[in-house]
Amino acid sequence: MVSALELRGLAYAYPGGRAALADVDLALAPGELVCLVGPNGSGKSTLLRLAAGLLAPAAGTVALDGQPLAALAPRARARRIAFVPQALRALPDADVESFVLGGRYAHQPRWLSALAPVRSADRAAMTRALREADVEDLAGRHLDELSHGQYQRVRMARALAQEAPLFLLDEPSAGLDPEHQVQLFLLIERAVAAGRTALVVTHELNLASRFAARCVVLERGRVAAQGTPAEVFRPAVLGAVFGPHLHYGTAAADGPDAERPLVVPWPAPGSGADVR
Amino acid sequence: MRIRARRVPAGLAALVLGLGCVLVLTWALRQGTARTFTWGEVGRGASGALGLGEGLAGMDQTIWHLRALRALVALAVGGALALSGALLQGLFQNPLASPGVLGVTSGASLGASLALAALGGFGPALGLGGGLVLGPFLVTLGALAGALAVLVPLLLVAGGGARLSVPSLLLAGMAMNALCAGLLAALQSLTLSDFEVARALFAWAFGTLDDRSAAQAGLVWGALLLGGAAAPFVARELDLLAGGEEDAAALGVPVRALRLAVLLLAALLAAAAVAVVGQILFVGLIVPHLVRLVVNGAHRALLPLSALGGGLLVLGADVLQRACLPGVDLRPGVVMSLLGAPFFLALLVARRRELSAW
Repeated sequence: MVSALELRGLAYAYPGGRAALADVDLALAPGELVCLVGPNGSGKSTLLRLAAGLLAPAAGTVALDGQPLAALAPRARARRIAFVPQALRALPDADVESFVLGGRYAHQPRWLSALAPVRSADRAAMTRALREADVEDLAGRHLDELSHGQYQRVRMARALAQEAPLFLLDEPSAGLDPEHQVQLFLLIERAVAAGRTALVVTHELNLASRFAARCVVLERGRVAAQGTPAEVFRPAVLGAVFGPHLHYGTAAADGPDAERPLVVPWPAPGSGADVR
Repeated sequence: MRIRARRVPAGLAALVLGLGCVLVLTWALRQGTARTFTWGEVGRGASGALGLGEGLAGMDQTIWHLRALRALVALAVGGALALSGALLQGLFQNPLASPGVLGVTSGASLGASLALAALGGFGPALGLGGGLVLGPFLVTLGALAGALAVLVPLLLVAGGGARLSVPSLLLAGMAMNALCAGLLAALQSLTLSDFEVARALFAWAFGTLDDRSAAQAGLVWGALLLGGAAAPFVARELDLLAGGEEDAAALGVPVRALRLAVLLLAALLAAAAVAVVGQILFVGLIVPHLVRLVVNGAHRALLPLSALGGGLLVLGADVLQRACLPGVDLRPGVVMSLLGAPFFLALLVARRRELSAW
């Protein structure tokens, strides 16, 4: 089967020469939800930007459904990939509807006058996306009136409106309370169940464990491990990457999720001494 | 949550600004040093111009050459400068951007001044006294050339590299500003002994709406119509830039092509305006801010409303000045600075919450 997204021998160096990523191989099967975890500065966001075509790799290739990503024009790329960065540079002065309609840009004719009325296909996709992201009730609100949780869902709605088969999400649940984190991952899960493929950068190891089919651990620009959460979230793997202060367990729930590992930051008594 | 100004629908704002332009334009045709027409005469003149009546016999010179051209030039210059400013503020996502900041206006001034000095070398009064038909034309060309010359290094900075650093582009603009100002000062000090040339350079610095030719009106209207026609085709892209260039690129916006196109368009608008009337500061900076206070920030409304508002502002300031101080000809650049700066400062103080929301 052709991979929905395939990174092969990917390398990237920051301006100035410091290596960010080296020799990264990663493939996502269609319909797979993969979480990318790793310490701060391990190159997760850079990997996502390379996969989104927003950075050009120093070496290696990115392929979508077997085709090289570099050959795609910006609009064609945006119809294939919905990339949601960790934070926008600024909060646009817009209401929720027009913000979400921005996701339709790549589907609109190249020379569409901004004075033309919104096309019914775009409006329909926008309404659908608002419903899927469960933010229909926010439609008329201005972005600056939203809570952070609502704002993150609205940004997900814009990505949904893009109707791209591949989602690249950079810490979508950062800064959310536990309930909103779960809601956001449920939303991603629904999008994947509807046929999308998703690569999600996250620090929420337990949500990754619960929702991801596969997890990839990045450490200092290299893939340190990848596999099912049960294979990856073990002291032998994560201890070397995240350090000694993690506590490992298993979800006590019934059903298919019962065997999923749990990982919480929980330093053993007296740990402070050796840190200092 | 921040407090926002009450917003009015863009259509209503366009209607009000459009009516305002028509009203002020009528006023500008009616009032002047030669004589002020009665409203009856204005009506007869208007119907005459539309072919519905006999019109005002013998008044063509006053109405058309002295007043209509002046008013039309003022309208288009204001519109072009404000549209240029709105485009640049959208492109740079920066409320300080304006044609003046990028050095385009000072480039145009330098070009015009060089043309004046060159004409002056062949005979002091040639370019100014109307002795040479080509005079104003060459000055206009010089201004256009100067503005475009400033654009070249800016485009090199903007086009180089995959990711544009907005600060470096603004800094390049400031550097061009300083360079042009230095060259202009050098030119002025070198020509100081030549009274006619020095006076012409000095006068240019203030801008003037007097004795504009139909060709000059055509130039600035042409630029404005071109800009106005192109604006709806970059408005969606400018809206998407609000979240940053990376976000826009991820949504499919060809950021680099957009940057070049908008920069070129904004420079052309500003160059045409400065070429025809000289430096008028502030219009490009403040008008988009004023419009943003009234309607929401979507560029499909912001761009045309800025053009309308800029025209209304420059023409209105000219008419107001001549009504308040008849016989005194304050240059439009002076009026704009004297009225614009305090007004904008007052606005900043009174509504700093909304303005800070940019």
